[in-house]
Amino acid sequence: MSLMQVTDLTMRFSGIVAVENLSFDVQEGSITSLIGPNGAGKTSVFNCMTGFYKPTSGDIRFRDESLIGLKPYKITHKGIIRTFQNVRLFKNMTVLENVMSGAHSVSKQSVMGALLRHPAARREEKDILEYATYALEYVGIADKKNELAKNLSYGDQRRTEWARALTAKPRLLLLDEPAAGLNREEKNQLSMLIRDIRDDLGITVFLIEHDMDLVMHVSEHVIVVNFGTKIAQGTPQEVQSDSKVIEAYLGSQEDEDAAL
Amino acid sequence: MKLISKAYELMDNKLIRAGVLAAIFLIVASFPLYFNNHYINIMLIAMFYMLLALGLNVIVGYTGLCDLGYAAKFAIGAYTTGILVNVFEWSFWLTLPVSIAVSIVIAVIIGAPTLKLRSDYLAIVTLGFAEIVRITARNLSITGAASGLHGITRPELFGFRLTSFTHWFYVYLVLIVIFIIISFRIRHSRFGRALAFIREDEDAAQAMGVNTVLYKLYAYILGAVLGGITGSFYAVQMTSISPNSFDFTQSVNVLLAVILGGMGKIPGVIIGAAFFAIFPEIFRDIPFVGDMRMLFFGLLLVVVMINRPQGLWPDRLRANDKLPDKI
Repeated sequence: MSLMQVTDLTMRFSGIVAVENLSFDVQEGSITSLIGPNGAGKTSVFNCMTGFYKPTSGDIRFRDESLIGLKPYKITHKGIIRTFQNVRLFKNMTVLENVMSGAHSVSKQSVMGALLRHPAARREEKDILEYATYALEYVGIADKKNELAKNLSYGDQRRTEWARALTAKPRLLLLDEPAAGLNREEKNQLSMLIRDIRDDLGITVFLIEHDMDLVMHVSEHVIVVNFGTKIAQGTPQEVQSDSKVIEAYLGSQEDEDAAL
Repeated sequence: MKLISKAYELMDNKLIRAGVLAAIFLIVASFPLYFNNHYINIMLIAMFYMLLALGLNVIVGYTGLCDLGYAAKFAIGAYTTGILVNVFEWSFWLTLPVSIAVSIVIAVIIGAPTLKLRSDYLAIVTLGFAEIVRITARNLSITGAASGLHGITRPELFGFRLTSFTHWFYVYLVLIVIFIIISFRIRHSRFGRALAFIREDEDAAQAMGVNTVLYKLYAYILGAVLGGITGSFYAVQMTSISPNSFDFTQSVNVLLAVILGGMGKIPGVIIGAAFFAIFPEIFRDIPFVGDMRMLFFGLLLVVVMINRPQGLWPDRLRANDKLPDKI
């Protein structure tokens, strides 16, 4: 069953076409990747899916509901959570507080809850704390929970972002270049984590990635874009042997000739 | 540096914290026993600034919004109470809910359209609004025009009229405790964390599901309500208010108190406000220097800000903190 459907998505920025007539599905319970060379429009697709951009035309549906025109926070409340390409943590707050932010969309106490601290507010606060602690343990940085986010190593900052996303108990997890800046060891942990997230927690994962190793290793379905349009899709093996994909990544023979 | 870490650790223990806070409260509460009216009056000014600074801290310190017209918020409370007591002869205590309601309405009117924009715009709009409030107050007859309102009746509490400096000292002390509890509860709640997320990174906050516009508005309303309440008490304590009490300098003073002490830190904000009220008073009595006290005060502010941009109150040190080269 498809969890998210992108239909004829087009995104233009004052004349420049970032995405054109792109359509694809994300199946429920799958690990799907969107790949493509630099500037292929991957992040624009991502930003359209999360409400940070309003697409020029086309439709994005999540569980048969259109997301077009919804503010990012509304989309998060529907169970879609994202991470950022260049880690965006709340730098001057502790790791635990950062991870607790994920719970915002699945909790509801507001001003009155804060001022009165009635039993419902206390219970909710306890639940948030418990689940955030669990998420920290899940990604393996529970011992760093009281550190300020800005003092963490890059790898741990990434982990904090994943824990933060998990705390939202999402249906769909969108990872924007999760392997960027990680070493080999950390990349291996990441691909195991992505599988665990899907297998244990039942969260559908959609990722944008540069790192071919990770994509081919972890994903079940791959969509390849170049110049904002889809050039191939299928299993990792299928796209790997697709001539158009090889061309997009390595450059075509004609380009080489022209360059010479 | 070690000492600060140790102190923070000790304060994490609930019993020790309660003990320390109770001790501070008792010491402060006994001040009227050994200080004369002159000093109590200075303390009242300091406490008044503390209340304003705690209110503004919700907007500036917790949420990271820039409000350059906080004077308007307490002017609204002060005039609401002043008019209701003087013209309509209401009891002071009944004016408080009205003052809160008026503060909320005004905060929504200013906040709703501007908080959708980048926070720089709020600074300009609040600055302009503060001037509008002051000039309106100066030109309306119900607000007593330029001379303001006089002879505002002092309130009674349990059949006991609040008149002396000492009475007001205790009223303000209770208010400060209430404001501290409110600030603390906000900071350590889902709501307060959301405000901090907005301050740290608005896009990421939005991606975590925070309705940033609404939460900024809540913070702005809360700050305005705390300011309004302070204004109401100020009106009956002073018994007279005039447009000059609410000029731009007042807004700047409160903002500086918050920044000087340390934005977002409750003890910092209190110390900043106390420093602000007491420092010029200490200098006043020194010959020669006394006349130039504001100059020295300005210099001191510059020095503090260069050396401690995060404010006077120290941060908790964490294991991985990179210590500055020179201590």
